[in-house]
Amino acid sequence: MSEMYRELMLEHYHNPQNYGLLEDAPVNIELDNPTCGDHVHLTARLDAEGRIAEAQFQGHGCVVSMAAASMLTEEVVGKTPEEVARMELADIETLMGGVRLSMGRVKCATLALNALKKGLVEKK
Amino acid sequence: MAWDSATLRQQFPILQRQVRGKRLVFLDSAASAQKPQAVIDAITHIYTHSYANVHRGIYSLAEEATEAYEAAREKLARFIHAPESAEVIFTRNATEALNLVAYSWGRTNIEPGDRIIITEMEHHANLVPWQQIAQQQRAELLYIPVTVDGELDQAAYAELLTGGAKVVALTLMSNVLGTLPPVREMAAAAHAAGALVVIDAAQAAPHLPVDVQALDADFLALSGHKMGGPAVGALWGRRALLEAMPPFLFGGDMILSVQKYSSVWNDLPYKFEAGTPAIAETVGLGAAVDFLTALGMEAVHQHERELVKYAMAQLPQVPGLRILGPPAERRGGVVAFTLEGIHPHDIASLLDEDAICIRAGLHCAEPLHRRYGLPATARASFYIYNDESDVDALVAGLHKVVKFLRRV
Repeated sequence: MSEMYRELMLEHYHNPQNYGLLEDAPVNIELDNPTCGDHVHLTARLDAEGRIAEAQFQGHGCVVSMAAASMLTEEVVGKTPEEVARMELADIETLMGGVRLSMGRVKCATLALNALKKGLVEKK
Repeated sequence: MAWDSATLRQQFPILQRQVRGKRLVFLDSAASAQKPQAVIDAITHIYTHSYANVHRGIYSLAEEATEAYEAAREKLARFIHAPESAEVIFTRNATEALNLVAYSWGRTNIEPGDRIIITEMEHHANLVPWQQIAQQQRAELLYIPVTVDGELDQAAYAELLTGGAKVVALTLMSNVLGTLPPVREMAAAAHAAGALVVIDAAQAAPHLPVDVQALDADFLALSGHKMGGPAVGALWGRRALLEAMPPFLFGGDMILSVQKYSSVWNDLPYKFEAGTPAIAETVGLGAAVDFLTALGMEAVHQHERELVKYAMAQLPQVPGLRILGPPAERRGGVVAFTLEGIHPHDIASLLDEDAICIRAGLHCAEPLHRRYGLPATARASFYIYNDESDVDALVAGLHKVVKFLRRV
């Protein structure tokens, strides 16, 4: 088995969770990673208490960026925008089973998280 | 004489190390080449024996340093067949050399409405400076298109030239496709249309013979670190052009005399070498030039041509692999490729686990990738120390990548 590509990560890559786009979602944002062409389109809806009720994404890119997006859409349900704003690379690495990503892959791993943070700030 | 990669490899200390207990397979020399012991020794020697600032001191140490620094200029001038060494200007890298031309020559000579012709396959270093000068001078920036096969569209170029041009800036070898454009013929056509010719030889100079006179270039930029030297670059330009140009940077060493409100510029090449240069690095570049000259650039080119031919025959075994660019006989030692359904970053990360170093991404050529509609590519590049065993390792590694990641 690979050092970086853990089984969990590959599962999410091959069978992404919450793959799709929510209609009329207040959080609706697209973000690119220009250096490698990764692309993520992320949508989310909040509940009455202001917590994330549902998140879905579409996109294309490497294993790291797509698995991170898939895992993130599961992880953030029930979180407040403030809690999401406090999430960082280490949280994504934990979701991925405790991998330590190389410097070159940090932007891939945080693409969806950065999109969600930005989308929550800009939400309609 | 047969090419002996095994013996050559012995002269590169870094290639003796292992990564994760495996033999290092270095296939990213197009980004930066590894350094032979001779270059490392030259740098150590100057710092250990003969280091002082150049062009200033009266004492013997300073004279030795200056002599070593200027010897590197002589060596590089011979390497590119420059008519005189004073036309060789040391810069930080090829990027700075091209910026020097764009800023110093461009801002003085390019006027509103003038046409600047570059190509779709340029590295950003020979693209962004012209794009910016075009904006600043309100000139028109035009691109020679790249064909599906990765060649420059010569009919389109001829058509572009009928509208006239002030400058044609193009690469001697594409850092992505490996394409070797017919620069000599294209330079002749540019001159006939009244344009100057700026050549980016960063990728070509380490791999094939470069002759600025045979190419009939006006400016040529190169990069030392891709030639097995340290990170230092150089610009060659015609004396008459360089003399007419204003300095690019101002300060010490580039002046003959400074008054409170005016200055007199130094002679070539010093007019363009403001401040203390990268002395030891430049001496190291001289050693790299000696190393390549001893091998013979024609032999280097021949070795890489054979290796690329082998790689292009072997790589298509990997399912879903597509190679970009022209056939082996019309390219340098670079092979960019894609694997169906697998992102280049994943290819590079997984190969790294087998100590195989390739590059993944846009390779500083975003417009070229857009032209092919590709978000990124993987690139293997070869140099003097690579041989067929490296290609075999790459092919085996790619088979593993496919097995590991492809959805069934």
